[in-house]
Amino acid sequence: MGAPGRTLRSGFLRACERFAERPALWIDGAEVSYAELLRRGAAIAATLARRASGNDPPLTAVLAQRSVTAYAGILAALLRGHGFVPLNPAFPAARARQMLERAAAGALVVDAGCVAYLEQMLDGIERRLVVLLPDSHAVGTLAERWSRHEFVAAGELEPAQAWTPGPVDPNEVAYLLFTSGSTGQPKGVAVAHRNAVHFVDTAVARYGITETDRVSQIFDLTFDLSVFDMFVAWERGACVCCPSAKEKLVPSSLIGNARLSVWFSVPSTGVLLRRLGKLQPGAYPGLRLVLFCGEALPVELAQAWAAAAPNAVLENLYGPTEVTIACTVYRWDSARSPAECRGGLVPIGDPLPGMVVLVVDDSLREVAAGDAGELLMGGPQVTLGYWRDPERTAAAFSTPPGHPEIFYRTGDRVCRPAGGGPLLYLGRLDNQVKIQGYRVELEEVEAVLREAAQVETAVAVGWPLNASGADGIVAFLGSGTVDLEVVRQSLRQRLPAYMLPRTIHRLREFPLTAHGKVDRGALRRTLEEGA
Amino acid sequence: MSSEADIRAKLRRWILVRAQAESGRELHDDTPILEPGLLSSLDVVELILFIESLRGEEVDVDLIEPEAFTDLNTLYDTFFRARAA
Repeated sequence: MGAPGRTLRSGFLRACERFAERPALWIDGAEVSYAELLRRGAAIAATLARRASGNDPPLTAVLAQRSVTAYAGILAALLRGHGFVPLNPAFPAARARQMLERAAAGALVVDAGCVAYLEQMLDGIERRLVVLLPDSHAVGTLAERWSRHEFVAAGELEPAQAWTPGPVDPNEVAYLLFTSGSTGQPKGVAVAHRNAVHFVDTAVARYGITETDRVSQIFDLTFDLSVFDMFVAWERGACVCCPSAKEKLVPSSLIGNARLSVWFSVPSTGVLLRRLGKLQPGAYPGLRLVLFCGEALPVELAQAWAAAAPNAVLENLYGPTEVTIACTVYRWDSARSPAECRGGLVPIGDPLPGMVVLVVDDSLREVAAGDAGELLMGGPQVTLGYWRDPERTAAAFSTPPGHPEIFYRTGDRVCRPAGGGPLLYLGRLDNQVKIQGYRVELEEVEAVLREAAQVETAVAVGWPLNASGADGIVAFLGSGTVDLEVVRQSLRQRLPAYMLPRTIHRLREFPLTAHGKVDRGALRRTLEEGA
Repeated sequence: MSSEADIRAKLRRWILVRAQAESGRELHDDTPILEPGLLSSLDVVELILFIESLRGEEVDVDLIEPEAFTDLNTLYDTFFRARAA
């Protein structure tokens, strides 16, 4: 596995050679070695290679909670030369089905905890699927009920030795992750191996990851930051530590229980921990690295963590899924940083090696130093675009005037201080909002609302606002006859919990701007007044 | 000190509001709280904080087992019963 042609599995396989008996995973309080994880992944890969047809796109879906099978399934996709498509059993089944259909994956790996969910998902799928259930010993009832699909139980898996590595093109998809789409349909971001490998190399070098590191795995597997947790750790033989149900309640307990050296989470997790009294000064002397990404980082939170983990380097990372995990970084310095912060937020810093930042106006021309504009990102982490959606890809990925390379339009408003200094995040240009770190296109919620309520006008706003985004969503509907309970029921079937509006108001009339568009600011002000 | 019935009513109301459950939805003493459609693990932290406000004192989060959040009965037994005795 020489330098050219490296793919996302390369680091893991190298670690398996060097560190076969070291732990690759810490899960449910027990360790799983690199050798064992490889064995399980290879058995799944060999089985898929034998059973699945070659006609589908090279993608394998993984429907799992936090289990060894989840990680083995992800690795199996890569070992097979496929990209992985994680599906979240916490989403409504209809949404997972939609993602599976869009990906057009022909194979699905399912862990023991997701069998009931699988049945809900399969309802309505026409295409033949090969479904592997490596934790299940009896699949007879599934096979009877869903005769269109092929089900493979634990006892029918191929032996791990049957797996042989085939060549993988670094330009092929390593993973496909869905993000909220403003038209009402989630968008599948296709990330190539070369994108992911570039980021992993950067992170491993920047953070000096070694086989003695123990890295938190708090992010959902449908969140691209989990790719950092897994593959930055595995690149150097480190251990990936997964929270148990109890540790998920109070995630800081994972730090002591798993003897973490690296903590990586969204800021919201940190806010919750602080409210539970878990960020006392000096509480986590064993952490050497504390990283945040996914939403704006409030200054007080950075200060609290810096005090709680006095031996750690603390960094704020920024990056949309479309630019592979993270593409700018800011290192917190207790002396220097407070003066560099604006609006109570920690800066997003400077581009990672090889990445290019442009701050542009509406016509995609660079603004003067000190002026605010839209952030465009260029460089080797810019991904392939949206899966099978050339129109939306072309809209978001383009070449700005004077630049031959492709840049991704982030839709984030930023500015670089006039005298130099780190990039500052100022907010969104559009109606995307972060809720607990999850990206939500308010227009996606609105599209689903309009359909569910059968109204012409539906507006969703993030409310109440917090330092990083919003706690939740409040919706406003035009007059209609559909009962609100029916609307809610419909929403619950289509949207994940964090996208469900907490309150829905009926309006006979909507306030309008001078341009005749719904005045969201006015709607938000009515909420402020009512609060 | 609030009565048991009072505490249970407050917990019930908090959970139903938080989960934006449809009006008329029943939350019995043994209805599972964490099933899809009611509370998520993020909501649980907010629930802990609400319980602290009802108790008037902090909860030692290190001692909490996930089973405490099974239903209203387990919530009451874990966080309120010992103190009421």
